Amino acid sequence: MMKPLDCFHCGEPVLTDTQFTTCINDKQQAMCCPGCQAVSKAIIDAGLINYYKFRTEPGSRQNAIVPEELGTFSAFDLVEVQEDFVHKDSDTATVSLSIDGITCAACAWLIEHKLKHVEGIIKIQVNSTTERALVTWLPEQIKLSAILNQISAIGYQAAPYQVDEQELLSKKNSRQYLLRLGLAGFATMQVMMFALALYAGYFTDLDVEFRDYFRWVSLIFAAPVVFYSAQPFYFSAIRSIFSGRLNMDVSVSIAILGAYIASCIATINANGEVYFESVSMFTFFLLLGRYFEQNARQKASISSSNLHKLVPLTAHLITDSGAKDIPAKGLKVGDIILVKPGEVIAADGVIVDGYSSINEAMLTGEQLPVSKTLSGEVYAGTINVEQPIRVEVTAVGQDQLVAEIIRLQESASNNKPKVARYVDSISNYFTWTILVVAALTYVVWKIYWPEDAFWVTLSVLVATCPCALALATPTAVTCATGIFTRIGVIARTPGVFEKLTLIQHVVFDKTGTLTCGNLKIESTELITSTDEEQVLAIAASLEASSLHPIAKAFESYRDPNLSVKQSKNHIGQGLSGEINGQKYRIGSAAFVGATEITDSTKQVIYLVNESQVLAKFLLVDAIRSDAAETVKLLKESGCLVSIASGDASNHVEEVANKIGIDDVNKGLSPEGKLQLIRQYQTHSNVAMFGDGINDAPVLAGANLSIAMGSGAAVTKSSADLILLGDKLSRYTDAVKVAKLADRIIKQNLFWALAYNLFIIPLAVTGHVLPYVAALGMSASSLIVVGNSLRLLKVRL
Amino acid sequence: MSIIYVLIPIAMLFVLIAIGIFFWAVKSEQFDDLDRQSVSILFDDDKPVIPETKNSESTDSTPS
Repeated sequence: MMKPLDCFHCGEPVLTDTQFTTCINDKQQAMCCPGCQAVSKAIIDAGLINYYKFRTEPGSRQNAIVPEELGTFSAFDLVEVQEDFVHKDSDTATVSLSIDGITCAACAWLIEHKLKHVEGIIKIQVNSTTERALVTWLPEQIKLSAILNQISAIGYQAAPYQVDEQELLSKKNSRQYLLRLGLAGFATMQVMMFALALYAGYFTDLDVEFRDYFRWVSLIFAAPVVFYSAQPFYFSAIRSIFSGRLNMDVSVSIAILGAYIASCIATINANGEVYFESVSMFTFFLLLGRYFEQNARQKASISSSNLHKLVPLTAHLITDSGAKDIPAKGLKVGDIILVKPGEVIAADGVIVDGYSSINEAMLTGEQLPVSKTLSGEVYAGTINVEQPIRVEVTAVGQDQLVAEIIRLQESASNNKPKVARYVDSISNYFTWTILVVAALTYVVWKIYWPEDAFWVTLSVLVATCPCALALATPTAVTCATGIFTRIGVIARTPGVFEKLTLIQHVVFDKTGTLTCGNLKIESTELITSTDEEQVLAIAASLEASSLHPIAKAFESYRDPNLSVKQSKNHIGQGLSGEINGQKYRIGSAAFVGATEITDSTKQVIYLVNESQVLAKFLLVDAIRSDAAETVKLLKESGCLVSIASGDASNHVEEVANKIGIDDVNKGLSPEGKLQLIRQYQTHSNVAMFGDGINDAPVLAGANLSIAMGSGAAVTKSSADLILLGDKLSRYTDAVKVAKLADRIIKQNLFWALAYNLFIIPLAVTGHVLPYVAALGMSASSLIVVGNSLRLLKVRL
Repeated sequence: MSIIYVLIPIAMLFVLIAIGIFFWAVKSEQFDDLDRQSVSILFDDDKPVIPETKNSESTDSTPS
């Protein structure tokens, strides 16, 4: 057991040796942290050991369970809050929850079995594809917060979510497409079977009687395909005719309807040719492409809905009879609210009692808390870090600073510069050309050989049927979207693939994007002490009572055997306490009375006992491990790279230096960032990376916007791409895939156009036999599909 | 050969039934979670065939 073990629950390396273990199947298994230990114990205690037996992916890493977090669930019990997402029947209530941490089907099983036997829960259904659960319970027997607590005890974070409007629509659409596709599939199989008999009839003599019988059967089977399955094409065609820009669906619709009607005429008159099998197959393949596209889009909208958690913002309203919990939307200007440490401030206001540090990272990108005292202004959405404060509300709803930023985001997205998309224009020209050619053919044949005019015109439409052309883009996009999902990139808007290849300038936010967004201990310098482990443990114990970002950096070094007495928090300076009879202080140089070494790029804190300085800790916001590599790759591919940060400290330059970015813009407000992007956009297409609410407007304004998966919901709702797992390097992978997809689309278009150009003259002059037309059409479509499938083999 | 005048309509009836079942399956949300159902058989509680060979653990896990 010399090499570091992997945590039995989450698979992360265990750094704490056998400090945390759980007995699983009579064997002590090592865990990496108290979080995983608690979760695995809860799973075993509930008798759900099968989870460990059958899971195919390790569990998600647990953060130490913070007691404050348990408190936030109680907000879900307020009736006013529940109105938004709980569906109530006479005595039961139902809620749909989005669940973080589902890694495989075993997780779904685990959650269902854990909750099924909880008293008061009537039904629970977990969907591992959408990462959601539908829970029905008796409100009289169990509270919603208790249900959420049960789920969090086995290591999943559940919360109601804001359903994306897109999602509601796309869910219905997806099911419709599946029905249409299934029907088309069944019918096509039957029609093809009879078509085979009919084709065979060319070579052997098929009785006219049976031929007509087969034709009638085919006609019946093809009818639902034409009148039900193909509907989306007709609607889209009609819409495009009204908007004046013809799309591919116009010629698709004409081909389907034209071929079907002509075949019907031929069947009824018992002469001519029938194309039922071509019609059905064509519709089936096109629907298949649409269905995959629709599924990918639905997946994207589901994950963006899931990311949009509804965490009810509540406030402790101070009334004559004491503090009362009310939802934030019920606040009025002039109310006094109590904000406890660790809580989000519910409305803009001024402090009327107390003093504390406020983390305003969400507005400014600056991660270190800002000290605020009496009559200091605080903003909704920022987090109170150290002491309870009382705030008088000065603005609610749309007048708040956050609402201002969201308005800026909306106006920015309306003025977003468009990137021209060539596929749209090709289909427009192509459709016009086909229609004109078909019309001319008809006119010319009508004048000279009137009896053949209809059939030749039809064969022009069928032969040039833009099957391959219509499949060229969707198949490639579908494959590329599949790869995106595999590498953890969610494409939220159409056209992302074309845009990705056109980006010449990439702008990064700093905090949370290039850096991890939280402080880490970079180095420990021992001054008079000699035991690094002990020093860290003492520091961690002292910091345990604080919610400051600095304290979080020490979390992993905590030793449960050390207990702190007389712990005291000195706001904006540090902490003091007594451990094993020895008094310690930890904090800034001024606080502990040490001589300061000025280095403003880093946070330096000192640990002292009564007589001397023990150690010095250097804290930095760690740069993401793949940031430098990503920037290098971007530069190699000819992109300009810049930083636009809200943070005004020197840390911005330091980060820029380390990862090799020359163009640094710091201390920018959300408007400032937007202006900067606008300026860059005058000469190039700009991609913006961001995570915080302060990045939302600039993301909306950029040609292509990329949000980090861990970022704020508002940010993600305006982004084109979301990087799950916060890996920057996936962007360069995505560009690679997009470039390949772009090349394949071009090849497909080239092939499809070449085929059509070749066949048009033959068809116009009446030289294309019907089975040749059908064969050519199928072959060109198969080549396009095959070419697109090559994308799936791409290695990253 | 005239038997096909009977057989084909019967075949059409079967197709109709198949389509009906498919529509029912889609509408009753059986296609909503394809990852899950494929492995759900594994989770059926495999309690020992001879009961009470080991009576520790597994306090619940009644068959579902």
